[in-house]
Amino acid sequence: MTHGALVLIIEDELQMRRFLRASLVSHGFRLLEAGDAKEGMALATAHQPDVILLDLGLPDADGIDLTRELRGWTKTPIVVISARGQEADKVNALDAGADDYLTKPFGVNELLARIRVALRHANQARGTGSLVLEFGRLRIDLTSREVTLEGEPVRLTPIEYRLLTLLAQNAGKVLTHRQILVEVWGPEHATQNHYLRVYMAQLRRKVERDSARPDFLITEPGIGYRLRAPG
Amino acid sequence: MRRPTGANITVLTFAAPGALVALASGVGLLGRGQLAAPDFAMLYLLGISVAAWRFGRASALLASTLSVLAYHFFFVPPFHTFAVTDARNLLTFATMFVVGLATSTLTLRSQRHEQERARLADRTRAAELKADTEQMRSSLLSAVSHDLRTPLGAITGAATTLRELGADLAPEQRADLVDAICKEADRLEHFVVNLLEMTRVDAGALTVKREWVPLEELVGSALTRLEPRLTGRPVKVSLSPELPLLSVDPVLFEQVLFNLLENASVHTPPETEIEITAFVREAVGVLRIRDHGEGISPGLEQRIFEKFFRANLQGVRGAGLGLPICRGIVAAHGGTLEAWSDPAGGAVFSVELPLVGEPPLIPHEAGSEG
Repeated sequence: MTHGALVLIIEDELQMRRFLRASLVSHGFRLLEAGDAKEGMALATAHQPDVILLDLGLPDADGIDLTRELRGWTKTPIVVISARGQEADKVNALDAGADDYLTKPFGVNELLARIRVALRHANQARGTGSLVLEFGRLRIDLTSREVTLEGEPVRLTPIEYRLLTLLAQNAGKVLTHRQILVEVWGPEHATQNHYLRVYMAQLRRKVERDSARPDFLITEPGIGYRLRAPG
Repeated sequence: MRRPTGANITVLTFAAPGALVALASGVGLLGRGQLAAPDFAMLYLLGISVAAWRFGRASALLASTLSVLAYHFFFVPPFHTFAVTDARNLLTFATMFVVGLATSTLTLRSQRHEQERARLADRTRAAELKADTEQMRSSLLSAVSHDLRTPLGAITGAATTLRELGADLAPEQRADLVDAICKEADRLEHFVVNLLEMTRVDAGALTVKREWVPLEELVGSALTRLEPRLTGRPVKVSLSPELPLLSVDPVLFEQVLFNLLENASVHTPPETEIEITAFVREAVGVLRIRDHGEGISPGLEQRIFEKFFRANLQGVRGAGLGLPICRGIVAAHGGTLEAWSDPAGGAVFSVELPLVGEPPLIPHEAGSEG
């Protein structure tokens, strides 16, 4: 699925581009490279890449603004790569429409994993998504609304079910508190982080073996949650 | 310590001698029946001394002059004139002037001494403080520099070897060097992250963004992040169900848990258990992390919270920042972090956090379980 995918790198740091080029090309990706936001925008428009790697600290524009601009017309997954490590920066990028966020420094395996997740979500969004989601012991049937754990049915409240399916449909991807609250509780509850935390704790008690050491429902401190598919 | 000296002329310099001489005259006139001539002179000398002592030389001289005139006018016959008829009175006048002058000079001198002493003490204190700060700064700097240069040295060494000799090296040698580069880069990153965090804590730049959080979520997140380094080590978590939602900064507090767990995992044998317990004791949330290693050497219970302090210089290669960061974050939350050795073995790290405010109510879900 990832083989031959076209990756657009928007990054002004030359050494960083060298590393990305070497690792991506050797993994079978095709590359486009831009050194600033203007060139990046032009290449994105002309070539319709499958995934965009975007550095936030560009010489001619803020990466967050560029993310918003790109989101205005394309659903192409955007993976932000940035030296800004503060949680607020990540939340801003994700809320602006980025699909994922990698803080420098990162290793090649982490990069490839994020790109694969981003590409998979893009494919699902095009309608190839499945109606049954399976993550090891956990199985969610979206048609019958049935959740089972090692074959045993799990009784969830409507909110718990919506929470679980939202994360499951975005498996591997970080969703911000705001994004989850808007989806599950509605826009008027977008800042009630403690609702989310309390329901997440309930959900963990029902689907995790040890709610204090979760296998599936992973907390991203200060950002949100991510459903991890056990590998 | 601010007394007017000879240099400071104020309204008091002139008003005070007038008032003092008037007072002496008044007392003298009232007591005229009981007092003899030398007593009147003594009253004026008292006034002159006070003026010299409190208000400086100009006041002393003015008080002396006024005293001479008043004494003469009120108490030396013929009364109510300034005519001098007796030579003995000249001696009294001279005494008054000399006493005024001498007292004010002595006072001035002792004040100057005092000021000089104070200035000297100030200067010494400032010099001591500067030396302390400089010594601390230079020892911090040398620790930082050492911790940055060591991994950088290994990376540069391995990378240049690979560049120069790459083709001539045996595959396992190449793999070793590449592995060293990755490990040392990790170490460097770890150190830089801690250094930045410590700087934030030190500079008072920590803004505690409190939210209501279940402790279990923070524990879970810290354990998830630490998972690769726990490598299957048993961790026992027991959080009291009485524990309410905590009002803490979730990112910072998770960092505290992470650092404490990391510290425990680094300083104890890999197969030994780590226990996390939490409970409520008199409106204080208590969180304890207990390991089964060698415990803390007696006398180091506080020193381990000092920056760049390493309990074990040979074995463990931490930056010595994890624990001071924890203590800084807990303190910013109004709590305390202490450590001790358990009599039964192992170290205990205990966070105590006053439970303030009323946790919010979460509206019950309308629908039933489905």
